[in-house]
Amino acid sequence: MTVSPARASSPSGDSDLRRRHGRGWPRSHPFPIEVWIGVGLLAAYAVVGVSAIVVFGSSLSRVPTTQMWVPPYPAPPSPSWSHPFGVLSGVGTGLFTAIWRATPWDLAIVFSILSIDGALALVLGSIAGMTPRGWVDRTVTFVSDSIGSVPPVMLLVVLLLGLSVVARTTVNLPIFVLLFGLLLWPPAARGVRSRARRAAQTEYVEASRASGARESRILVRHVFPASIGPVLAQIPVDVAAIFLMLSAFTWIANCVNPADFFATTAAYPLPTLPPITPLPSVYFPEWGNLLGIGMCWGLNTTAGPDFWWMYTFPLLAIVGLGIALALLCDGLDRWLRVAE
Amino acid sequence: MVGEASTDELRALRGESDRGRPRPLSESNPDRIPGRSQPAHAREPWYRSPFLKFVAMRAATLPFQLVLVLLLLYFALDLPGALAVDPHLSALGFFQSFAQMVTNIFTGNWGMAPSQYTTVLGPVTYFQLYGEFLGNSIQLAIFGLLISAAIAYPLGLYLGWTRRPGVDAPARMGTLTAALLPVFLVAWLVIIGLFFAFFNTFQDIDAGGITPSITWVVIAYDGRIPSWIIYGLFTRPTGLPLIDGALHGAWTFELITFVKTLIQASVIALAYVAIFLRQARSLVVGAGTEPHIVAARSRGLSESTLLWRHTGRRVLPTFMLVFALTIPGYFLAQFAVETAFNDSGIGYLTFFALTTPAPVIIHALRTLEGVVFVLAAFVLVAVLVADIVARRLDPRESRD
Repeated sequence: MTVSPARASSPSGDSDLRRRHGRGWPRSHPFPIEVWIGVGLLAAYAVVGVSAIVVFGSSLSRVPTTQMWVPPYPAPPSPSWSHPFGVLSGVGTGLFTAIWRATPWDLAIVFSILSIDGALALVLGSIAGMTPRGWVDRTVTFVSDSIGSVPPVMLLVVLLLGLSVVARTTVNLPIFVLLFGLLLWPPAARGVRSRARRAAQTEYVEASRASGARESRILVRHVFPASIGPVLAQIPVDVAAIFLMLSAFTWIANCVNPADFFATTAAYPLPTLPPITPLPSVYFPEWGNLLGIGMCWGLNTTAGPDFWWMYTFPLLAIVGLGIALALLCDGLDRWLRVAE
Repeated sequence: MVGEASTDELRALRGESDRGRPRPLSESNPDRIPGRSQPAHAREPWYRSPFLKFVAMRAATLPFQLVLVLLLLYFALDLPGALAVDPHLSALGFFQSFAQMVTNIFTGNWGMAPSQYTTVLGPVTYFQLYGEFLGNSIQLAIFGLLISAAIAYPLGLYLGWTRRPGVDAPARMGTLTAALLPVFLVAWLVIIGLFFAFFNTFQDIDAGGITPSITWVVIAYDGRIPSWIIYGLFTRPTGLPLIDGALHGAWTFELITFVKTLIQASVIALAYVAIFLRQARSLVVGAGTEPHIVAARSRGLSESTLLWRHTGRRVLPTFMLVFALTIPGYFLAQFAVETAFNDSGIGYLTFFALTTPAPVIIHALRTLEGVVFVLAAFVLVAVLVADIVARRLDPRESRD
């Protein structure tokens, strides 16, 4: 590893230590191939999202409805050249444009939640690990253990229920994003704390501290890179929790009881949303919402055809984003471990 | 040289004597020789052992955590409910209303059960209904946890053991993809995929609960429902359908219940193992290259012995801790599966309470307070037990 003279002679003197011990952010190492694949996939999602904003403009928040495809339309069109992803019969819309419109919304939702979640886990866990048995450490551990004892999805529903009782209008997407971000951090924070605690006791951190480096600098330069691993491992799992929640609203409202639903298949009721949902309407383009509708209207028969495209394409969009994030996060984790 | 002198020599040089003073028997005791028993005067009394101190500290935290959960429930559910009824909160102050909520939770005053149950069971409260449905959920949880452990332990152990990229990368992506599939979608695919096979074999539907449906019971028993099957919802006397069926010699009932439980438990295991392995893999990766394994290999032990005996024992406490931390995820998977399969279980009841329509939502809040508190208390106790057991199995392991 080569270090520039300016960095080697920095006032804290920790660059020289990092060169010898190989700690901190390993800037001079090339990224593993996984990182580039993950970045490429996420860039593709971003391009799709930006193009949706440009193309659809003010009509981005509602999928177009074609009445002839709304139930009880007997056989919704399957994927073809005119409708590449087929038609979602529940709301009577083409899935291709619906998923395209949903991309910027989902990217915004997922990255906002993960930013809050990851930042809280990293900062609180690292500070707690750097001050073992201090009041910050005890408070963070106590709160994370207590909040983490309830499944975050269930706790979020409880909070949304309470909010919906007080003021229905407050339950919207920004509140949902904020609450979910605040509930997802405990599992990762425990791991971060454990690693930060070990990192804070290492020789290079002691040496950096002895040479006059500030605690904030030690935190950012040494503790963060050594303890970010659990956050990177947790992020793809949190993507699963986010879409489980978003698809569950529609699923619960429309087909929570499959045994009963089989008997009423012929009725083809119009899709609805439960009162606690953060989505403005069932026609809002969002992958989880589309998946929930697709599951109810595509998988609702035992004797008739299985409209596989209705749930497959929204699911592929979700799984693709999760795998892109997993490749990026696992690659970054490997990149950081190179130093060790 | 002084720098190489032992502690006793240093004490002698300083003129100190440790005669008559018990030596501290701890990890920091430099005189302790590992593997050799200490003299009687060097042993600490049992009540000062680090393990007991750890247990006491962890147990002492539990009541405070429960109070925090109660406060969270108060501000998230009880207070909004009270505000909806009385916007000025003129009836009760904070302490009184909080005490009222706690009393309701602990006395089982969780409100009346939904009408779909009261019409067949008579006036029954949610708390009583949870008690009746608990057996079904426990039976499913036993199967789900056993199947999960049977898959997760060997697979997690192997992934930690092997360092071949051809195994590790597909395992990571495979578990993540499985975790990204919504569990209720998997449940539905299973329900529909097995529908005809199940119906043709047992003349019953696979999504009609964990026990045979009431229609099957009526037909099978010529219109006379046995007294130990309560409206096709739960069984008596133990509440565990497999045991109750065996006690009454109902072997066809037993077979259908077993197959249904197995199907549902497999769906839960698929979702849970994905979450578990994702967490466990990073903690046990490289377990096959630890120094004691390398040393054992150099003595000529077979790879299977190294894997199952040495590494298996090494990663067990870690797996227990990961299990404790992922219990909420397991509950969520089981609740979703119970809901999809229309089980008479606590998961289905909880989803029912969570999705109560808006006009009667205030009445459901009390039920949710009780359910969420019991769930949180169970998880906190389970985490405490797993933490203590893991610490006992391997003192190096703890969440610190």
